[in-house]
Amino acid sequence: MSYISKTIKKGITLHTIKTEKYKTNLIAVFLTFPIIKEEATKNTLIALMLKRGSKLYKTREDITNKLAEMYGASLDSGIEKSGDNHILKFYLESINEDYLPKKEELFKESINLLFDVVFNPNIEDNKFNEEFLKQEKYSLEQIINSKIDNKTMYALNRCIETMYEGKPYGIYKYGYVEDLKNIDAYNLYEQYKKIISTCKIDIFVSGKNDDIESIITENKEIKKLNEREPYFIKNGEPSNKNAERYVEEKMDVKQGKIVLGIDVINNEKDLRYSAQVYNAILGGTANSKLFQNVREKASLAYTISSSYMKLKSNIFIRAGIEIDNYEKALNIIKEQMEEMKQSNFSDKDIENAKRAIITNIKNIKEEQDIEISYYYGQELSDIKTSIEEYIQNIENVTRQDILDVANSVSINTIYFLRN
Amino acid sequence: MRIIENNIIKEKLYLEELENGLKVMIIPKKGTNKKMAIIGTKFGSIDNHFINPKTKEEVIIPDGVAHFLEHKMFEQSDGTNSLDTLTAMGVEANAYTTNDHTAYYFEAVDNFEPAFKELLNYVFNPYYTDQNVEKEKGIIDQEIGMYDDDAISKVFYNALECMYEKCPVRIDVAGTVESVDKINKDILYNCYNTFYNPSNMILSVCGDFEPDYIINLIKTNMKKIEKLDKIERIYPEEPEKIYNAYKEEKMDVSIPTFVIGIKDKVEKENIIKKELILNILLNYILDENSKLYKELYDEGLLISEPDLEYEYSDIYSHMMIFSYSKDPKKVFEKVKEEIRLLKDNGLEEKVFNRVKNKIYGRLITSYNSPAQVGRIFMRDYMNNIISFDYLNEWNNINIEDANKELKDRFIEDKMILSIVNPK
Repeated sequence: MSYISKTIKKGITLHTIKTEKYKTNLIAVFLTFPIIKEEATKNTLIALMLKRGSKLYKTREDITNKLAEMYGASLDSGIEKSGDNHILKFYLESINEDYLPKKEELFKESINLLFDVVFNPNIEDNKFNEEFLKQEKYSLEQIINSKIDNKTMYALNRCIETMYEGKPYGIYKYGYVEDLKNIDAYNLYEQYKKIISTCKIDIFVSGKNDDIESIITENKEIKKLNEREPYFIKNGEPSNKNAERYVEEKMDVKQGKIVLGIDVINNEKDLRYSAQVYNAILGGTANSKLFQNVREKASLAYTISSSYMKLKSNIFIRAGIEIDNYEKALNIIKEQMEEMKQSNFSDKDIENAKRAIITNIKNIKEEQDIEISYYYGQELSDIKTSIEEYIQNIENVTRQDILDVANSVSINTIYFLRN
Repeated sequence: MRIIENNIIKEKLYLEELENGLKVMIIPKKGTNKKMAIIGTKFGSIDNHFINPKTKEEVIIPDGVAHFLEHKMFEQSDGTNSLDTLTAMGVEANAYTTNDHTAYYFEAVDNFEPAFKELLNYVFNPYYTDQNVEKEKGIIDQEIGMYDDDAISKVFYNALECMYEKCPVRIDVAGTVESVDKINKDILYNCYNTFYNPSNMILSVCGDFEPDYIINLIKTNMKKIEKLDKIERIYPEEPEKIYNAYKEEKMDVSIPTFVIGIKDKVEKENIIKKELILNILLNYILDENSKLYKELYDEGLLISEPDLEYEYSDIYSHMMIFSYSKDPKKVFEKVKEEIRLLKDNGLEEKVFNRVKNKIYGRLITSYNSPAQVGRIFMRDYMNNIISFDYLNEWNNINIEDANKELKDRFIEDKMILSIVNPK
């Protein structure tokens, strides 16, 4: 396995992960730019419209038929928020040429198709196709409205929105229904031209072909792209000073969902590695304090966990509980946070937490999309860390470091979804 | 040890049945650091009535026992919990229960050997007490509560309740709060001693290692267990016809979700071929390339590609189409209409081949990760299938067979519609 990152034009980076481990090649294009409330809906719509047709493959059917012929290659797109950036992600996975029933240049075809979709949209008379746009606006409206359908995710999103109200990270990544009416086929194309000529572009290829770089640099869509000073946000805005704000919302649910949004703030020390260990001990694994006390001892929950978001330095504790047990569950959660502060965790707990985190780090190299996400994360970060250094940084975390985290955490928001 | 090699995917399977009846499958995968082991028992939510092979007693158990057992397997008599032990080793361990089997697995980069020993230890050493059984009920009640708020889970169960009148596949895997309350340690031991005999189990391992190493690890670390006779399971007679054609429920969601179910005959012969053809047909009718999907998408009746599934066991067999729509009834009518048209006009060769290629690509892609490979081989072997045979059989699928299956299996009288509507 080897990883090479190379600037092919200013602002456009090719990341090649050469590996023989998989039966497939995975190609990804990520477009990165700052998230802005007024533009979020438009940018999501662009991702949807690009999949509706390109210059060579005019309609969605042309694209999907081509994919099916390529032995069920799959084209996926995703809209993500990473820190204060908005990212449009496009993936094409196709099987490696070694496993085809007959010889074909499947890798090259995959590159050509994906780049045509992202960089060569179906534009006529300076606008996107009106009929497709009407359908995609309808589709996006459904996507935005479906926010309430998954209650667990909904509760988390609402907690984040409360913590970052009025700030970039509080923007819903799919945008807002009320913004749809002002979008037309012309201004959407204007927006496309703007982001495609200014955004940071990262192209990832994980697979075993020898000619990856030449196929990509020779591609005519890549040749057409301009150099750019890529504009994206490295360190975004912090959360609002909420000081344990309680937000309750009612829906017709049988189970209550509690989410605690926690800030980890320390201006003197870099806590990103120690916070991961703190989080793992508190609620990151089956050995954690929350899992053991809320679930195994008190039988209050089936799901209880905490997760650490590095880019925003937040921890989110989440549990699904009987609505009447809200106080009981909250008390145990707060007790366990206090235990952390009092240094009431064993050396074995620290060791276990590190093992769990290091396993996850080692897994990065075992799945194509996870490996791509890791190298992308490196791109957005000031400090480049190899996987070996990352592991070492976790190993180096001491009890004192964890206590520093415990003394730097404060509950920002408690969100409760109930009936 | 039997060695089965496949030249299409360029992988090998080593297969061995141990003296105690345990079937062991080893799929070596060179060059990967990830390793996985999974052990499955053919005991799922449908197995609620059986003859205990030792006492010859007839046993009927409350709903949710297989799932409850899965929760309770990790606790050990020395006070430790194997999930904690495995987590502490830095491996990812978990378990799941389905309609027809229960499985315990872990994925590891380091510490494969101690984790593997732990797996062989905890799965064969149950420890249930009145106290630890009672404690689990609160946790499982919350798991049931979580699924109660999940429209997707609801719409699938309602579809099964429509298709089947008596078959226990219509029962929720976790049971209900009431049925779970009836479970006690004697019931658990009785079921454990019946279904967790090695002769009813399959162990599958995937990663970069020598098969002999694995076999030796098993032989030296597994305790002696006497092989039991085949378990006699008693299932109610299920009528061929559907039970209810339609079910609707309301929940706090933004858009209706629906499942179109098609009940099928249970068969034991040519399962691989049938499964491949049914998957091709479902994709032909309604995957994102299909004519019908384009039409429904353009009309705003579908907004994303439906999930298309064919599922079967010894006692059930059905297809399900799941998606979201502002008007599921209209989608249902259009699907029926499309099937009528395809039956009358026959399938188009070009489309058929395109879908067939797509299914091939999916089969190849499923060999990417050891975790997936281990699981697929175990699950397929539960149905007496060697997973490689899907790749071998793929070449023999032709359009005539597909046309015939379309006529035989996609019968309107056997179709149901389940909807969850917004309030």
